[in-house]
Amino acid sequence: MLQKREKVLLLRTFQGRTLRIVREHYLRPSVPCHSPLCPQPAACRNDGKLLSAEVTHYVIPDWKVVQDYLEILEFPELQGVIFMQTACQAVQHQRGWRQYNKLRNLLRDARHDCVLFANEFQQHCYVPREKGESMEKWQTRSIYNAAVWYYHHCLDRMPIVMVTEDEEAVQQYGSETEGVFVISFKNYLDNFWPDLKAAHELCDSILQSRRERESENQESHGKEYPEHLPLEVLEAGIKSGRYIQVREVTNHCEFEATLRLHSKFQVRLVSDILIHGMKARNRSIHGDVVVVELLPKNEWKGRTAALCENESEDKALGDAPSEPMPTGRVVGILQKNWRDYVVTFPSKEEIQCQGRNAQKVLATPWDYRIPKIRISTQQAEALQDFRVVVRIDSWESTSVYPNGHFVRVLGRIGDLEGEIATILVENSISVIPFSEAQMCKMPVNTPENPWKVSPQEEQVRKDLRSTHLVFSIDPKGCEDVDDALSVRTLNNGNLELGVHIADVTHFVAPNSYIDIEARTRATTYYLADRRYDMLPSILSADLCSLLGGVDRYAVSVMWELHKSSYEIQKVWYGRTIIRSAYKLCYEAAQELLEGNFSVVDDIPEFKDMDLESRQAKLEELVWALGKLTDIARHVRAKRDCCGALELEGVEVRIQLDEKKNIHDLIPKQPLEVHETVAECMILANHWVAKKIWESFPHQALLRQHPPPHQEFFSELRECAKAKGFFIDTRYSSSFFSPCRVSLYLGCPEIDYRHFCASVTMAGLVFLQAAQHSQKQSTELFQCTYFKDKGPEMEERCIADGVIYSIRTNGVLVFIPRFGIKGAAYLKNKDGLVISCGPDSRSEWKPGSLHRFQNKITSTTTGGESTTLQLFDHVTVRISVQALRCHSDTIRLEIISNKPYVTPNMERPQQSSIVLKSELVKEVTRSVEEAQLAQEVRAKALQEECEEYCQTKGRSLYTLLEEIRDLALLDVSDSCGA
Amino acid sequence: MAGLELLSDQGYRIDGRRAGELRKIQARMGVFAQADGSAYIEQGNTKALAVVYGPHEIRGSRSRALPDRALVNCQYSSATFSTGERKRRPHGDRKSCEMGLQLRQTFEAAILTQLHPRSQIDIYVQVLQADGGTYAACVNAATLAVMDAGIPMRDFVCACSAGFVDGTALADLSHVEEAAGGPQLALALLPASGQIALLEMDARLHEDHLEQVLEAAAQAARDVHTLLDRVVRQHVREASILLGD
Repeated sequence: MLQKREKVLLLRTFQGRTLRIVREHYLRPSVPCHSPLCPQPAACRNDGKLLSAEVTHYVIPDWKVVQDYLEILEFPELQGVIFMQTACQAVQHQRGWRQYNKLRNLLRDARHDCVLFANEFQQHCYVPREKGESMEKWQTRSIYNAAVWYYHHCLDRMPIVMVTEDEEAVQQYGSETEGVFVISFKNYLDNFWPDLKAAHELCDSILQSRRERESENQESHGKEYPEHLPLEVLEAGIKSGRYIQVREVTNHCEFEATLRLHSKFQVRLVSDILIHGMKARNRSIHGDVVVVELLPKNEWKGRTAALCENESEDKALGDAPSEPMPTGRVVGILQKNWRDYVVTFPSKEEIQCQGRNAQKVLATPWDYRIPKIRISTQQAEALQDFRVVVRIDSWESTSVYPNGHFVRVLGRIGDLEGEIATILVENSISVIPFSEAQMCKMPVNTPENPWKVSPQEEQVRKDLRSTHLVFSIDPKGCEDVDDALSVRTLNNGNLELGVHIADVTHFVAPNSYIDIEARTRATTYYLADRRYDMLPSILSADLCSLLGGVDRYAVSVMWELHKSSYEIQKVWYGRTIIRSAYKLCYEAAQELLEGNFSVVDDIPEFKDMDLESRQAKLEELVWALGKLTDIARHVRAKRDCCGALELEGVEVRIQLDEKKNIHDLIPKQPLEVHETVAECMILANHWVAKKIWESFPHQALLRQHPPPHQEFFSELRECAKAKGFFIDTRYSSSFFSPCRVSLYLGCPEIDYRHFCASVTMAGLVFLQAAQHSQKQSTELFQCTYFKDKGPEMEERCIADGVIYSIRTNGVLVFIPRFGIKGAAYLKNKDGLVISCGPDSRSEWKPGSLHRFQNKITSTTTGGESTTLQLFDHVTVRISVQALRCHSDTIRLEIISNKPYVTPNMERPQQSSIVLKSELVKEVTRSVEEAQLAQEVRAKALQEECEEYCQTKGRSLYTLLEEIRDLALLDVSDSCGA
Repeated sequence: MAGLELLSDQGYRIDGRRAGELRKIQARMGVFAQADGSAYIEQGNTKALAVVYGPHEIRGSRSRALPDRALVNCQYSSATFSTGERKRRPHGDRKSCEMGLQLRQTFEAAILTQLHPRSQIDIYVQVLQADGGTYAACVNAATLAVMDAGIPMRDFVCACSAGFVDGTALADLSHVEEAAGGPQLALALLPASGQIALLEMDARLHEDHLEQVLEAAAQAARDVHTLLDRVVRQHVREASILLGD
């Protein structure tokens, strides 16, 4: 039976009056205690997480401890932690949702031995706040009261330690009840966990930063920043349209930020808002949701167009800004998006420069967009060679930089492992190995105890093992084969195309430990040389990997296609059992497709076969591959007709030699097989998405692309104009379908693998972090590659580049060979400009630069002038600029304004082969497209003829259409030649 | 700033109830001797007083009289001191008119009006303290008052509100939960037959969830019925003792 109590709250209204609010509060005789020692488990209804039975004591942190030392309580070593509801609510009210959500996740996480006890709803634990009692005292009192009750509830069998920061509480309650100890947190760590060094360090660093903050509050500095406006004012301002709510996106410079508008606020302004200077940014950090006030129009500034190196002296270079754009200043922050940041402490000399205050150290974040963070620590010297994770605590209006504390060490600067850890932390990726509790639920597959298809499953699943030729095509050395393909002729002559995805859901039950873990990981991260799995390797690399020659569960989509027109007649979805016959790699598949059978020996499945059966099997496989390619071409042609987006970019593969040194960077060769596989997956996704949407309309996770924003095309249009093309961007379909624009604006991230993942694990969120980290790790390897090269490899570092953007003091260059984009200066720090003589070699000479819309001209004092145009080819030298605090960056230097000529002619030949096959593909595709279009047109014409009784035959319209087609063909011919 | 956490991970609401639990209900019948019927109800901190006059001759213009059934006239008002801030609420404002109409619809469905043609039944409800679910409290108070007046009804009319938070339906919302802005549904039920006398919702809720919320509200209304039934029986017992049987 519930008991009713009343709580009286006094709130202050916006007008300043006090408001008396009476809230009900219901108490119950029992709430779940989550303890294995509970004498009445039935009454307590302990479902879900229980505390471990092996602990020597239970810890109950006071509200202040939960607020300040949550990071230490997160250590998995600390077991038997009971969070009282009172403490959790204090966190929620005083520390905001971010911290509270962290606490909630901790409580949900099965690996952490901690529970929540709802003491305020328990009739014996609840203590009403007394008149005149401060909130803090009442919270401590009710937590202590609950601790005592808990101790007696467990029949006095388990000692309880309440840790508090309140000295008075230690005095008052310390010896009140036997078995319930009240000590300070520092004391607790010293006595119970003397060996847990990391926790001690963390504790010290938190303590110190808090002390700093306190002492700072006492000092009254001059304010560095204007105060943020109170929340109500902001909300009212946003509603009235005076302020604008935006998410901050920092641009390339430390002192300049641009804000991207939330789409719903785009009514009034179409472009971004510029925030100029640290003062106007007013303590907002990249990723925060901020409120901005626009400045009057005469104070608007233009974006700096000069290249900037993020170094102080370069700031002065920002000359001749571009046309003014909306400029504003931040008046308040709605949501802080602080996360863990990787920083580097300054080296010894720099510390001395900073001088007078040795305890505070300004650490430089790895991410350029984050301001320097002030850390209070005494270990600065010991940590100066390491990459370190820190957390921002606060940013007062009196301080130039935010205050933070040190969390943990990642690794030495320049060490590959450390740098990779940096990338992972910067992208908030967690890579802890899977725990025991999670692994014990997993099926086993060992040589002694092999995994088998169970008879029950055999009955419910469609068995494709004997009827279908299933094979997979993946990159070389791929372990997690998650998709496979099949094609065969049916009895009625039609074709059957099948796409099979590993059935992960069979092994991962919803809401199981693995499922929860996988949800937090969200995806498998593919870095340049390694990957971090979403699921344990027993699943991802074995049981849920469609390897050759073994039985696997799968989810399949199968289409029946018409024998000649490849129209989809029927579609079937379901769970199946398959046995993949071949595990091909892209290269081998392409070779087979082109009729080159020399690769056969490399395919392990063919190795121990006699010659005859081998020949038969091979023919079967080659037929299937050919058919598949045919179908894919057709499907693609159809898709292109309806308008499809195609993004091309250069991806680089890293080849490591035996000693794990980087041997070479190879741009990934686009093969037709890639497209074939991707096309099948897109088809499968398309149909599955359709099915999901039909069956679960409100739960379907579909991606919808909004119509492209006209503003984003303006740059592209200008680029095209420079070369004399005109691109019509008004209708997105006319932009995407007829002229396939393949730009050198690299976009290597689009990968159909993510789509597969979203098919197999329903409800997965598409994460950008994975792509970011993938890109960054590739960049890291690129740097390492060029760094290691000595002078003898000089010519390796010289490559051909294409100019894709022009700035006031330099150009941005794309290098197709390595897939690198970077900046090249035309004016160096001494004010000298580049000039190319008659032999096209470049030299630094005094002179001046003139920037036009599509070109840049440097004129030396001697009167020679060099002009670089957009899309010009130049020769660049690649070098690596080593930076202590950030990742190394690649520097480019233009050494000649002529395209680079390779000394040996091997490579161009190769690329011409590629070009040729590419060309063949292109031609077949365009023929198919034309055919399809013809059919459609004919049909439409026929209908019109019937409807309007028009004369049959060639109308003026078709004639004009044909002329237009001819014109298009001409252009492509001249391009090909 | 995000709002309050209406339903914690452990399944508790802000005031300590679980999702399907009602607030404490206390009620009394026959609080005023002058009126034909009266009742007072407390649902948590929501307190309402209902008074019934009738059936009697039509007051005012005779033309309003209905030839085949009684006219049900409902008036709703709330006290100036019913909320945290004292506020004058004149009669005939939009909100109380709407509430009056809703009550009228509810009771026209429940009272056997055809037994009293050409007559009038007046129901006056006043909310003394508002803490969420005023409609439900008014209906429940009026039911008791109508019974106290001895007017024949098909069945009890029991009302309760329900809301929807994070995939869970919450029964009997308090003011804090209402103010959070989620969907809210008010249901008046004739519990014996399971017929719905009135169903009102003015927020957006996905069709698929409606069933669940409706079921929660109906279950809560049935629980209310058990309690009201107990109150009525108790009242009848006391009355019969007074009469000296």
